[in-house]
Amino acid sequence: MAQHTLAFEIGSEEIPAFDLHSAIGQLKSYVPKALDDARIKHGEIQIFGGPRRLIVLVHDLPDATDALKQEFRGPAVRIAFDKDGNPTKAAQGFARGKGLQASDLVRKEVKGTEYVFATINEPAHPIAELLPDILESLIRDIKWPRSCRWGTTSDYFVRPVRWIVALLDDQVIPVTFADVMSSNKTWGHRVLAPGAHMVPTANDLLDVVRAASVIPGEEEREQIIRDGVAQIEKQTGEKASLPAHTLREVVNLSEYPTVLMGTFDEIFLHVPHEIIVDAMLKHQRYFPMYDNKGNLTQHFIIVSNGDPKDNDTITAGNERVVRARLDDAKFFYEEDLKRPLESYVADLDKVVFQEKLGTVLDKTKRLEKLAPALAKQAHLSNQNAKDLARASKLCKADLVTSAVIEFTSVQGIMGSYYAKASGETNQVAQAIRQQYQPRFAGDDMPDSLVGRLLAFEDKLDSICALFAVDQEPTGSSDPFALRRSAIGIVNMLVDGLPVKLGDAIDTELESLNEQGIEFDDEKVRQHVIDFFVTRTKVMLKDEGYGIDTIDAVLAVHESEPAVIWARVKAVEQTREDMPEVIQDLATAYERAHNLRDEKLGDAVDSSLFGDAETNLNNAITQASSDVSAALANKDYTEALKDLAKLREPIDTFFADVMVMDEDIDLRENRLRLLNRFVNVFTDVADFSKLVRK
Amino acid sequence: MTSSNVEQKHTANPQAPTFQQIIMNLQNYWSKQGCVILQPYDGAVGAGTNHPATALRSLGPNTWRTAYVQGCRRPTDGRYGENPNRLQYYYQFQVLIKPSPDKIQDLYLESLRAIGIDPDKHDVRFVEDDWESPTLGAWGLGWEVWLDGMEVTQFTYFQQMGGFECKPVPVELAYGLERLSMYVQGVDSVYDIVWSRGDDGLEFTYGDVYLENEREFSKYNFETSDAEFLFKAFDKYEAEATSSIKAHEPLPAYDWTLKCIHTFNLLDARGVVSSTERMAYILRVRSMVKECCASYMKDVLHVTVDEDEKKGE
Repeated sequence: MAQHTLAFEIGSEEIPAFDLHSAIGQLKSYVPKALDDARIKHGEIQIFGGPRRLIVLVHDLPDATDALKQEFRGPAVRIAFDKDGNPTKAAQGFARGKGLQASDLVRKEVKGTEYVFATINEPAHPIAELLPDILESLIRDIKWPRSCRWGTTSDYFVRPVRWIVALLDDQVIPVTFADVMSSNKTWGHRVLAPGAHMVPTANDLLDVVRAASVIPGEEEREQIIRDGVAQIEKQTGEKASLPAHTLREVVNLSEYPTVLMGTFDEIFLHVPHEIIVDAMLKHQRYFPMYDNKGNLTQHFIIVSNGDPKDNDTITAGNERVVRARLDDAKFFYEEDLKRPLESYVADLDKVVFQEKLGTVLDKTKRLEKLAPALAKQAHLSNQNAKDLARASKLCKADLVTSAVIEFTSVQGIMGSYYAKASGETNQVAQAIRQQYQPRFAGDDMPDSLVGRLLAFEDKLDSICALFAVDQEPTGSSDPFALRRSAIGIVNMLVDGLPVKLGDAIDTELESLNEQGIEFDDEKVRQHVIDFFVTRTKVMLKDEGYGIDTIDAVLAVHESEPAVIWARVKAVEQTREDMPEVIQDLATAYERAHNLRDEKLGDAVDSSLFGDAETNLNNAITQASSDVSAALANKDYTEALKDLAKLREPIDTFFADVMVMDEDIDLRENRLRLLNRFVNVFTDVADFSKLVRK
Repeated sequence: MTSSNVEQKHTANPQAPTFQQIIMNLQNYWSKQGCVILQPYDGAVGAGTNHPATALRSLGPNTWRTAYVQGCRRPTDGRYGENPNRLQYYYQFQVLIKPSPDKIQDLYLESLRAIGIDPDKHDVRFVEDDWESPTLGAWGLGWEVWLDGMEVTQFTYFQQMGGFECKPVPVELAYGLERLSMYVQGVDSVYDIVWSRGDDGLEFTYGDVYLENEREFSKYNFETSDAEFLFKAFDKYEAEATSSIKAHEPLPAYDWTLKCIHTFNLLDARGVVSSTERMAYILRVRSMVKECCASYMKDVLHVTVDEDEKKGE
């Protein structure tokens, strides 16, 4: 059978870089699915994409789909026909469901019973007839974060579609979208190969595109950029920093990348480097360079889409732009330094935190209130307590400085420079710099205890305040990144931050009340606590702890993340160290738990005991006091070991004693003993969840 | 001179077009594309988009093409004439074409040639930039156009204006004239741009023409303006807009709405609008703009409008 190639290109005005990346990914799954759904056999599928195009190549396509005969079994004949031999509703319904008449049904015997069967013959379809619809659907099916209309058409795409190439070998497949009709013409690089270029056959598309100075694939453009960077690194002996996000964007901002090096004036190296790096990466998509000691240098990397002949003009132009940018940054920085950091705090009343929650000044006031409470809990020294109070007051002040308004990602960092320049202590400056840490799982925590407490305040305030005005995260929507904040807090608590989450939440809700925010205290408190417990649970799961262990611990209604964490760790460890003991104990616990009758209480009558009961009762008394002591010392492993000592006596008890004795006194006394047994576990974990089934 | 800290100072390239030549060349170019060359709106506006020739004419089914220079007032951007790149009053060259032509990107690139920039010799890039104006209740998709890394033009396919769908879709181009001129002339401070050059060699710079304006208005906007007066003025302008709407006169209504917007911007620069008030003022302005647009559609274009038209992605 003849094998054919399909080439399909959607030509668009410049597609946003990240949308392009996503569209390439979508096509990788849509194309095979669309072909499979139409029963079109196919060989390799290749997807490419650049700023002005998405390309799909499908190899080894047949002339047509295979004809298909499908047989479906319907109801048994005795149900399908009435006694007069006429088709029943059941038979008619079945036939209709398959697009047939009841008279089309045939009878066949299967294992001694006669059934009616429907047969559908799907003829072979030439794929050239199927492709127009499939290709048009592909254009429509790509999901964009935002799409637009243009001209007089009413179709939506990420940006206007300007050409479509659709070729099955040398035959143009007719596809129409938003008034654009498919053809065999692609468009070249704007400057290097402007205008339309003829594509003789589908197999030629990539060659024609390449010859028109367009590098069709993301990987290939990335490699060109990396190679270019490596060469500049070799020439200069410096290292470029290529953050993944900016690199992805740069890869999708040019059709024909050329890597160039620019230089800025040395004078700008006196401006905080973070702001220079931000200006270069975020605003200009340049890559900064560092010397072998890790210091920022005057060099930066530009990726151009222009004609390499004009590299000098392009480099000079970019250098001028960077000069203006950095001049701006320097100007802002120097302006900001003219006032002490503290003087900016009052201006925070112009920055909205959240509509119902007022401004960042209100937030600052809540942080200032939380600070002494945390300082007390954490037994901070006088100096540390002073620093925490100071940092809480100043931490958001840089949000209204010119440098941060212009270069938002340096918030905190600029605050720290300004704090130092205003004579604040190093610890205050450092805490301000690190207040947004940890930003994600695995990110560094602030270095100092004061820094961590400040980060804790900031994150907890956002969570409580937004929960109080019903802005908690739902599903995939978490616009204030509260989940990440909670993860940060849990990580710090688990790492030993010496504060109680519950108490801090109370202080926080009090502040919100005092600021006139109205909400149901009890409800919000519970929601916040549940939110942290759920986060902790998810984090424990991600760390690889067993879900049964986690559930066993959570059943005890502990809500301090650090306590939950320590207990889960201890239970998991103990289960590993003495698997049989725990398994046995869990089984016994479950049995006792099922049998017991809470109403009876746990006041046992020892005069009714036999040996096994006395033995168990004594062991419980011992374990009970040992567990309490261990818990008081926060030694969960010890508490579990104490519980483990109950294994022998409980096993003997169940082996020797018949709990459900006919004598009601004996029976109830034994049930009371089991109640006592179960109660010892109450404060540690629900062992019934640990039974391995 | 300005406070630019960089020692190098570039004097303007004498071959390059002057500021006014750039404007005249753009006018010439777009007039050949069938655009009505308008003069700037005679009231204070914050952007070329606010000119009724763009804001109102974006609506409705009629073909419309226009191009004009618009002086833009951004009171909070004042820097007392001390920053070489930032002004509280600056010029945009605005083009609006409805429906957007298929070859609009090429038309745009050709316009650069008209002002002395050969796009083939530079790195011209279309970098994603979605546009949204909360006060106008408008949004669109497009790019900022980069010339060797410098943003020189906003390029937008309008999707909504005043909360109404734009059908057909207009395309807006907003050239930053000072940036382009600095680039073309090779100067590092906006004040060094050569505005005009006579046959006898007499030159006027941007600084000669506007430096004093920047100094005085920066001071006025930040320090001198009378907030109490401005608050009252806002209310009065708003009332006048409302009564014009009632009289089915959307153009005067929109004129007063623009005055409200500028008054609000002045209050904002003065730092006397609290955050909650701020939101409330923006909402008041937006609903005025929406009413102007609705009235324009009904009373001028005679298009029936669906009161809650809110389609779009």
